[in-house]
Amino acid sequence: MTVRRILIGAPIVLIIFLLQSYFWVPTYEQQSKGNPQRLTEYITASSGDAAILNPILSADSASSDIESMVFEGLIDYDEELRFRGRLATSWEIYEEAFFYVNEETAIPQVGKADASKIVELLKRAKTGDIAIDVTVKASLDNIREIAIIPSRTFTVTRGENKAKFKIHVSAPARIKLVLNEVDQDLFQNLSRILGKGYFSSFDGRSYLRVDHDVGEMKRAEYAREILPAIEHNPIVVFRLRPNVQFHDGHLFDAHDVKFTYEAIMDPKNLSPRMADYEPVKSVEVVAPLTVRICYKRLYSPALGTWGMGILPEHLLNDEALKAEAIERGKDPEKFTMRQSSFNRHPVGCGPFVFQEWKSDQYIMLDRFADYWEGTPNYRRYVYRIIPDPLTQEMEFYAGTVDMYNVQPHQVERLKHDPTYQNFSGLSFGYTYIGYNMRREPFNDRKVRKALGMAIDVDKIIRYVLYGQGERITGPFVKQTDYYNHRIKPITYDPAGALRLLAEAGWRRNKEGWLEKDGKRLQFTLITNSGNDLRKAVLAIAQDAWRQIGIDCRTDLLEWAVFIQERVDKADFDAVVLGWSMGIEPDLYQMWHSSQANPYQLNFVAFENKEADDLIIKIRQEYDHEQQVAYCHHLHEIIAREQPYTFLYVRKWTAVLDKRIVIKETDAEGNVVYKKITPTKTGTYTFHFNKWIKLPVAPVFSAEG
Amino acid sequence: MLSFIGRSIIQKIITLFFVMVVSFLIIHLAPGEPSQVDPLNPKFTPEMVERFREAFHLDKPLHVQFVYFYRDLFTGKTVSWKDNEPVLKKIGERFLNSLPLFIVGTILTWTLAFPIGIRSAIARGGVYDRSATFVSYLLYSIPGFFFAYILILVVVNTFHVPVIGMKTFGFGDVSVLHTVMDRVWHLLLPSVLGATVGIAVLSRYVRSQMLEVESQDYVRTAKAKGLPSEQVHYKHALRNALLPFVTMFGLILPGLIGGSVIIESIFSWPGMGRMAFEAILARDYPIILSVNFISAVLVLIGTFISDLLYMVVDPRIHL
Repeated sequence: MTVRRILIGAPIVLIIFLLQSYFWVPTYEQQSKGNPQRLTEYITASSGDAAILNPILSADSASSDIESMVFEGLIDYDEELRFRGRLATSWEIYEEAFFYVNEETAIPQVGKADASKIVELLKRAKTGDIAIDVTVKASLDNIREIAIIPSRTFTVTRGENKAKFKIHVSAPARIKLVLNEVDQDLFQNLSRILGKGYFSSFDGRSYLRVDHDVGEMKRAEYAREILPAIEHNPIVVFRLRPNVQFHDGHLFDAHDVKFTYEAIMDPKNLSPRMADYEPVKSVEVVAPLTVRICYKRLYSPALGTWGMGILPEHLLNDEALKAEAIERGKDPEKFTMRQSSFNRHPVGCGPFVFQEWKSDQYIMLDRFADYWEGTPNYRRYVYRIIPDPLTQEMEFYAGTVDMYNVQPHQVERLKHDPTYQNFSGLSFGYTYIGYNMRREPFNDRKVRKALGMAIDVDKIIRYVLYGQGERITGPFVKQTDYYNHRIKPITYDPAGALRLLAEAGWRRNKEGWLEKDGKRLQFTLITNSGNDLRKAVLAIAQDAWRQIGIDCRTDLLEWAVFIQERVDKADFDAVVLGWSMGIEPDLYQMWHSSQANPYQLNFVAFENKEADDLIIKIRQEYDHEQQVAYCHHLHEIIAREQPYTFLYVRKWTAVLDKRIVIKETDAEGNVVYKKITPTKTGTYTFHFNKWIKLPVAPVFSAEG
Repeated sequence: MLSFIGRSIIQKIITLFFVMVVSFLIIHLAPGEPSQVDPLNPKFTPEMVERFREAFHLDKPLHVQFVYFYRDLFTGKTVSWKDNEPVLKKIGERFLNSLPLFIVGTILTWTLAFPIGIRSAIARGGVYDRSATFVSYLLYSIPGFFFAYILILVVVNTFHVPVIGMKTFGFGDVSVLHTVMDRVWHLLLPSVLGATVGIAVLSRYVRSQMLEVESQDYVRTAKAKGLPSEQVHYKHALRNALLPFVTMFGLILPGLIGGSVIIESIFSWPGMGRMAFEAILARDYPIILSVNFISAVLVLIGTFISDLLYMVVDPRIHL
């Protein structure tokens, strides 16, 4: 009967057809053996797709992964986390400092003085005519040039749209000092010669004439803004690498750097990087390959921002955008860089050239044959988007990705497999328990320290992190110089914790709870839901504290509620949280006492005068050694005060096929293979451009 | 007939309008912000968030936003907030990716469900019928994602071949046949998974329809006059049992656009379901609302078609 035969035959034929396709698909081994091309491709897996491939507009990690391959910045960090030149070959940092001549205030032994008299005085001091101490002498020796900017008059406009008004300024003469090196103590030292109140008593108000009655407060504010008594202008001069090409063959020069800066600052582009470049006063093209960046104030972390990928001006300037708008039939007035097709077809001067982007599938890059540092070994780089962590692992086993975000427990599984090599290293960030120091009993240092002593952090690292973590004692990235390795982590000592609590007045009552003045030691420890590690820490801390008689409650809150309702409003006792950090040691937002208001990042309300001073000094210091010394001191203070119980820094983990190695050519032209090793930079991909996959894993004589 | 069509179209347009309003409200009133204006992202300053809100018309009252959105949608100007790509173009691409999955899944469902269901009905109460029932309920009750993981683990660990995505990555230059077969292989697991529940449900349905028809008088008559049992089952009974399934064709239509969120995410299949899911996570309103609108239209068209089909195949029905 035909109907019956069709009914049974059709599904059988269909299923056989589908199943036979198995024989056409390559297995893990065939992937590389039968297909030598595959060895020259590196495929990596990511859980999220990129949003916009433009380094000044993107704010997600997938986009920046790709941008770091396609674009190149002026500088970046080397293996030891020091700056090294990329598009810049070298750079020089010096300073221009200014102060207004304060004719009203008498200078010791000289009396009231005009500009030329002050210059004369400074020059005399410099030659040693005046008795001064060593630090002042050092500051003076650092001055390369002294000049007078004569008094001048000008007008500025202030106020909002309708309420605009003019301020007429007749500025007094100003002294300009050019310094060999940035000197944050310059004016403090100069005031030893010019008199203690010389700078602070300068009153700009008398030089202003405001059209409009704005009140004395506002007037003083304008005076400070328009006529600041003193001004530091650090200057960075970058010398750029000659003959560097963009992927389209156009030569890179200083105008591209200036353009990138201007594009970031252009409000139309809505760049999330705008705040990073706010301290920049001006960017000037001095010569085709020299660019001079002048800053408004002392802010040393600003140098790191020049790692930003440089955009090609010729593809994105106003004319180019206008042409694109007209071609695509859009309104040229409303068309900005955000709408440009460049963001899906980026052109930079990095080691890889953008080829293709299939949303939610892959982004494909090919190596750039004319890359200035030498062509990468891998011919192709593919960024696959695989949202699910388990399927990422499965694709890794099947050989269709070379790298994926491997979890510690997965590393454990693959550790002893001879096919793979695995790495781990410290990441940039740490997990901590923060105490709200506005509240009892956390305003007592002894209590905070005792709480830390009661938790066995080593056990957390061993059992919760599968050993993929290290202890941390302070707020700096552990592998940088800024981290003070002399400070030892708090040892696990519940008995010692009880002794400290007893010193603070907390004693155990009959039921075993700690008590002070009839009140039980009771608080709530909270964290966000959805993070299993934090949840585990929460439970471990609660248990450890209960064992010594602390009545600790816990609560898990949804992230938005946790941040907006509790952390931002400082409505909590203690929190389990983590920070991920940059390398720069600027701790102002997290630790300065001025940042302890609601919605700010110093939500534990850490206040320490000495620490405040150091935080300011660190961000104003341009000398690395000096900065390290300040950081070590600050680290000591924070470790002593224990505003947080610093728990651990996690390790990143990675697994690769053993056949992937570093391939280099030595001076005699011989090919040398080296094992891939992790660097301090928080990844193992530092030498990625030299990587290659071999048909057979090489044997390294000296392992390790 | 004509008056039925006219009435039905008017009714459906009114329904569509309500769907538009309700879905717009639900999406805008749900907690969370589009990722471009997320106040929790420390990289965004309040001014930037403000400017973004303005660019997306989020600062306007809801009814104005409603008008803006649907005006853009009908003139084809809607763009995704995530990457500024036109929404219709994105949907078109994704639709083409989901289509093979949908077609193979549907064919598998319909070709397998019928023989299984018919055989169950004929051999009612026997070992085959009972085990088919058991397997159907088992497949129906296993969570899809769990079943998917088990299948992937088994296949990858035993055969060491890739199963994720639409094709093997880095496959290099091979013959067209290899490429096609590779794609077929990648279709296999997700479409089988997509079809399992369908097979389980539909085969039960076929079985009960067959049983109902088999107990009719005319089937008994056919048996009584000595026709071979095959002819009775497959000619007299099956034809009549098929009647309700014709109308189900119309209802498949919405499945075209919906895709399968879970299966597409697990297999990183760049289809409609995954796009909609990721748009929801990023609160990419234009994508969510457009997909929603299109699927609403398809649902309405689907029900309309099945009404019509019913009339065509069953002359007893007058509307």
